Amino acid sequence: MPLSVSQRYKLLRKIEPYLFLAPALVVIGLIFAFPIVRLVTLSFQRPFQGQMLFVGLTNYQTIFQDEVFLRAVRNNLTLLISVPIMVVIALILAIFLFDRIRGWQLYRTTLFLPYLLPITVVGLIFSYIFQLSGVLNDFLKVIGLEQFVFDWLGSTRLALPTLMFVIIWKEVGFGIVLFLARLMSVEEELFDAAKIDGADWWKLHWYITIPQLATTIEFFTVVSIITILSWVFGYVYVMTGGGPGNATMVTELFIYLAGFRYNQMNIAAAVSVILLLVTGIFIFLELRLRERSAALEEVP
Amino acid sequence: MKEMRLILILLTVVSLLAGCAQPSTPSPTEAPAEPVKLVIWWWGEQEAPGAQKWLDETIAEYQKLHPNVTIEAVLQSTDSLIPAFQSAAAAQQGPDIQYFWGGVWTLEFAWSGAIVPLDDLIPAEERAHYINNFERTYDGKLWGIGWYLSGNPMVYNPSLFKKAGIDLNDLPDTWDELIAACDKLNAIGVTPISGGLKDGWFGGWLFSILGRQNLDSEKDFMKASIGEAKFTDPAYAEWWERLNQLKEAKCWNADINSIDYQQGQDQFVQGKSAMIFGNDTFLKGWADIIGWDNMGVMRVPKYGSGKLADTYVVTAQGLGITSWSKHKKEAADFLMFTHTQDRLNAWFKYTGVLPADNRFDTTQIDQPILKQIFEWVVESAGPNLENFIPSMVDEQANFTGTQLLFAGDKTPAELAQLTEEVAQKWREQNPDQLQNFVNWYSR
Repeated sequence: MPLSVSQRYKLLRKIEPYLFLAPALVVIGLIFAFPIVRLVTLSFQRPFQGQMLFVGLTNYQTIFQDEVFLRAVRNNLTLLISVPIMVVIALILAIFLFDRIRGWQLYRTTLFLPYLLPITVVGLIFSYIFQLSGVLNDFLKVIGLEQFVFDWLGSTRLALPTLMFVIIWKEVGFGIVLFLARLMSVEEELFDAAKIDGADWWKLHWYITIPQLATTIEFFTVVSIITILSWVFGYVYVMTGGGPGNATMVTELFIYLAGFRYNQMNIAAAVSVILLLVTGIFIFLELRLRERSAALEEVP
Repeated sequence: MKEMRLILILLTVVSLLAGCAQPSTPSPTEAPAEPVKLVIWWWGEQEAPGAQKWLDETIAEYQKLHPNVTIEAVLQSTDSLIPAFQSAAAAQQGPDIQYFWGGVWTLEFAWSGAIVPLDDLIPAEERAHYINNFERTYDGKLWGIGWYLSGNPMVYNPSLFKKAGIDLNDLPDTWDELIAACDKLNAIGVTPISGGLKDGWFGGWLFSILGRQNLDSEKDFMKASIGEAKFTDPAYAEWWERLNQLKEAKCWNADINSIDYQQGQDQFVQGKSAMIFGNDTFLKGWADIIGWDNMGVMRVPKYGSGKLADTYVVTAQGLGITSWSKHKKEAADFLMFTHTQDRLNAWFKYTGVLPADNRFDTTQIDQPILKQIFEWVVESAGPNLENFIPSMVDEQANFTGTQLLFAGDKTPAELAQLTEEVAQKWREQNPDQLQNFVNWYSR
């Protein structure tokens, strides 16, 4: 039975939002969904005589038996140590800046500057600084501290901590600006009331500043974890190439090498899926924190 | 069989000399009727300075002869050369002509169907002039053509040698003599040999240059890769011990692990070290900076007794045609044009590097050092072994292993074991690649 004009109108009204959404959904599907589906599919396949064969979880089993992959995971986990360090440094510096020490605006810009620099540039500069015959060791020799001259990037024991130092140096600026921005929006009365009540510098920040920054600290922590897990490729690639002897190998570099150097696109896909899942958990956490933060701000 | 391989290499290279006597005969090129655009992704300026100038000129001349052909050349970086092409191959979209290193670097793409054999595109008579075709031959077909030759001499600084009391007429040619030379150079405060392992590539070179000395042909290394021999067998493992001897004798720059390959080579050019395991493609570029008089070339001192110990490492860097190219014939025509007499001579003029074609007019070589290189190429060319092992073994054993050795974290025996473990892992993880290697080895 044909639809009446009013029925047609109602139906059109019902599907209208979806029609408007359709182009965006198609674009999102092509840009995000298709590659992810393709990636997951690849991770369950292996090439054999020109064909892609379904091999179940074989690629996943393979990577968990691969010493280089396990080393990469261990290194990623070790690098996570830098997250609390970054939070503490950013917090302390943000508080100093918030206290408006002399020249605080200049310091703020200076501390944020490393975050704006491209990773490649930072990596190259620090590569030259940390070479055995680099600027740092030359300086240490000049000031008579030869006992502290080390092969910072060429030693399997020091390369990862050196890399961690550079990551902290560059990423901490984001935390400082984030914390400072939040502190600027805290009502002055809170601090004034605490001061009238006799709170010293320590108590003021312990009982007022840090609680006020709680959601921002959580946000910065989660973002930093995501960065360490899936955004350190540039540092590693430029500064150490994963060496010496896999001492700085990370999962991202492992994916790159498997996919583009060893022709193991399926192994690379399996590692990518794992990384995507782990990072996805933290992205989800970050979204929840944002929601919670927004809800708290709405409370009168 | 191994002897046959060496004889084949020698024969192809010796034909360089034979080619000198022949008058130049440019290959016939056909003008296509329709407008055609060819894209080339290449590499080479990095190791043969002057290549860019030559390619630009060659393209311009070809376009003059074929007005309806446009050629775009895109220079790739060392690190992007393979990844960029792999992405292109996955998308079946990209260049018509691609640059490849020899052996496995070319054949992996033949096995994956990204490039086509050239037998139907380039006449057999023409192909016969190309040098080192064996590196690109699989299943009886030729999967690319050589462009220029790249060899590995040991380069030394004559004044530093003299200063250290090393006789220039009696250069070190055994391992003990090399270590003695290191002692003399160290005594005058000069770093004997410089290198850079941070980016890994030099580790592969060391394997190819030093690891060969106890074996007879590249097939021996393919054999170990496919599991019919072990990298822990003394003949394969000894090079780790020999490299360690050089390390213990303080032959190397102390910062070898914290600098890149190029920085290691630069130390020689800057006069900070007396020797390098060099690449003959760089010689002219270095001479432009320090002068021919400030360098000399010698063979890598010997410790082993395999046939490869007496060979000079040479590979032909080359070009191939992609399977998705819509203009394969035109691409092949351009490749043949690059091998015409005029272009071969121009190549040498701009780069000082030998082209991979026996029609090259060798009377052009007037520089004594380059004459010496040419002599070695003709008399004793041997394969570059990095081209005959899986890239995973190269990277996870040679690149990584040399770094671990110089960091003092692993012994030579442990590194031989590491190589064997990586080879075993490669075999387990890549049954398809293994099958291709087995086929390659057995044919």
